[in-house]
Amino acid sequence: MYQVLLTRRYLTTKVMPLLAAGAVMLCTAMILLVWSIMGGFLEMLLTSGRTMVGDVSITWPTVGFGYYDELVSELGKEPDITGAAPIIEAFGMLRLPDGRVIGVQIKGIDGATYAKATGYADALWWKPLTTPLPRDKEHKDRRLIDPDFFRKAYADGMSLRYQDPQTGAVRPAAVLGLEVSGFYDRLPSGVYVPYNVGERLENGTIRWQDGFMVGKSVTLNVLPLDRKGRAIQTVSRSFPVANEFKTGLYDIDKQTVLVDLGALQQMLKMDKAERVEMSGQDIYGGAAGGEGGGSAPPVIGIAPARVTTVLVRAKAGVPPERIRRVCLDAYTRFESAHHAQVPGVPGPGVQGAIRMSTWEEDQATFIAAVQKETVMVLGILIFISIVATFLILAIFWAMIREKTKDIGVLRAVGASRLGVASLWLSYGLIIGALGSALGLALASGIVWNINPIHDWMGRALGITVWDPKVYYFTVIPNRVDPLKALLVGCGGVAFSVLGALIPAVRAAYMDPVQSLRFE
Amino acid sequence: MTIVPAGIHLMAHLSAQAVFKTYRLGRVDVPVLRGASIDVDKGEWVAILGASGSGKSTLLHILGGLDRPDRADRQVRAENGSPRRGRVVFEGRVLSDLSARDLDRYRCESVGFVFQFYHLLPELTVLENVTIGAMVRRGIAGYHGAAPQARARASDLLDAFGLSPRLRHRPAELSGGERQRVAIARALMNDPPVLLADEPTGNLDRKTGASILDALESHRKATGRTMVIVTHDPDVARRASRVVRLDDGRVVNA
Repeated sequence: MYQVLLTRRYLTTKVMPLLAAGAVMLCTAMILLVWSIMGGFLEMLLTSGRTMVGDVSITWPTVGFGYYDELVSELGKEPDITGAAPIIEAFGMLRLPDGRVIGVQIKGIDGATYAKATGYADALWWKPLTTPLPRDKEHKDRRLIDPDFFRKAYADGMSLRYQDPQTGAVRPAAVLGLEVSGFYDRLPSGVYVPYNVGERLENGTIRWQDGFMVGKSVTLNVLPLDRKGRAIQTVSRSFPVANEFKTGLYDIDKQTVLVDLGALQQMLKMDKAERVEMSGQDIYGGAAGGEGGGSAPPVIGIAPARVTTVLVRAKAGVPPERIRRVCLDAYTRFESAHHAQVPGVPGPGVQGAIRMSTWEEDQATFIAAVQKETVMVLGILIFISIVATFLILAIFWAMIREKTKDIGVLRAVGASRLGVASLWLSYGLIIGALGSALGLALASGIVWNINPIHDWMGRALGITVWDPKVYYFTVIPNRVDPLKALLVGCGGVAFSVLGALIPAVRAAYMDPVQSLRFE
Repeated sequence: MTIVPAGIHLMAHLSAQAVFKTYRLGRVDVPVLRGASIDVDKGEWVAILGASGSGKSTLLHILGGLDRPDRADRQVRAENGSPRRGRVVFEGRVLSDLSARDLDRYRCESVGFVFQFYHLLPELTVLENVTIGAMVRRGIAGYHGAAPQARARASDLLDAFGLSPRLRHRPAELSGGERQRVAIARALMNDPPVLLADEPTGNLDRKTGASILDALESHRKATGRTMVIVTHDPDVARRASRVVRLDDGRVVNA
């Protein structure tokens, strides 16, 4: 009982315990703050990285495989699958309206199926907005005006078709990653405002135009390969830009161009075609076995259109391994129907088998980096906790030195060593609990209001720690995970008790006579 | 089980036999007690008189179970037939044979200490300082039910020492005499059969010291409690029923 009484009195009459509680508070607050923001940041990165891919990808890279509609249909029969989308993944060169030519990753997609298998519909950027972004106080977002225009842009983006406003002609279109053109200024509010872009004309004059990409034309250059992976000839095609997308992951938004699947199939010679008997000639022209004759080679069959990948989206809650197994079963049925015409079923030692991987497997490098970063952060946090433990130990050491005489008195009236140790341990427990509770409250308050606080710092002090141009997220993660809070709180208490342990043992083993004589 | 060693005065309420104690100061051993022996009968008031450094406080601490006697060295044992280790016996129980837990209980229930410098806990009120002994004795669970009785006994003791108006005061708000009376009340809280006082008037002026001695004396008369008081002041010692002189770690008359 005396432990409770003295703990209460020491807490309310001494500065040192408040300092110790303050140290615990700051440590727990710092840990929860860093963990919440970094954890939230990593979570956002992972979510963004997943926007444009499915849960499982079935891939035969570059050359692709045919009869994919049948595979999509087969996958569609599975109750665990909500969508499957055939796509082509290739590389090419993109000529921008200002004359720059940049290397890009191209995806040929069918908007409707792609939206079912990925987060494409949400990633389309140019769509009508009824309310401004939370930090767009000045309403600079052009999506807030002219909803009809953006409604059309959104529909065009989904269908990857663009109707020329002057001629009325509908053409296959491209959808660019929002960072591809480099024509936008990203404001701290997260709003994209187009620059004025100058294009040097042949006569040497510069034509200035709004950098807004929707409606402008870009030229895509690709190098098709034959079924054996040999380059054929470069193909160029102009596409109107129907819309742009933003996943939030800079690498994807900077390097990816989506185009209509059919159009890309044509460019890459992956569309449906007649198969002919070459008999000594090859597709590169030139005679392999004599002068070319004037007659067309005989048609011996139809080569189906091909895609490189089928993306599969699982129902929510279905584990990746299970959906992978479902896909494997579906592909096995598909392969048996087209034996030797499509890549084989994956299995041990099977050569030429289709590549089937979950999102986690595809992103293994990225996830491993994230995990390493998390481990590193946790390591730092544990180190901070150890520092806090030593801080508590030092404070308790000093407090016990100050209360040496009290310890002697307690021993003189019959307190046991265990009783004296428990006094200081319970004191450490209370200080840890108090400090942790205050720390969690402080950190939660800061995390929940991190964006307003950051805005205020920017306005009042000119400090911008979280620059959206660097981090590519408009808002700082502001969610506190209750489990993390609980862990940090328990950790704070545990490390406080641990810090109090050595001083408590020292107090317990003090010679009562020496304690009473202590000056 | 009670085992009384040979040579122990069976009638003594509290007894120390051939107690040695040496403190080590740096690299130097400083002998404080050199075979001191004393018997205190039940209800007796014994004053241990000695100069500063004669070992009287050490003897009191050993009697109270706060400290333990040394082993007597071989030569000393051969010279005067001392036991291997000095013994303190209380009501037939040898303190050095007690476990740490039993020794804690002995200090809690059988003896009450009064110190020269009061040694009150500064964060607690007067009432809490007195009840702390009951808290230690009963533990968390036991004290919870017995708290009203403990507070009532503490109030009665403080009332007997004229401190009723000071129950909620902190030690810093009291005079030296008042503090020492609180310390006496604390020592008596668990109603121990023995009261051990170490220079209880040493830090007080003569008038206040006399009033403290008056309080102790009247209390002893009323309760018949055994009392051992350590002092260097012959006037204080004279008030005891028996005086034991300690010189250079040895009892010179008992």
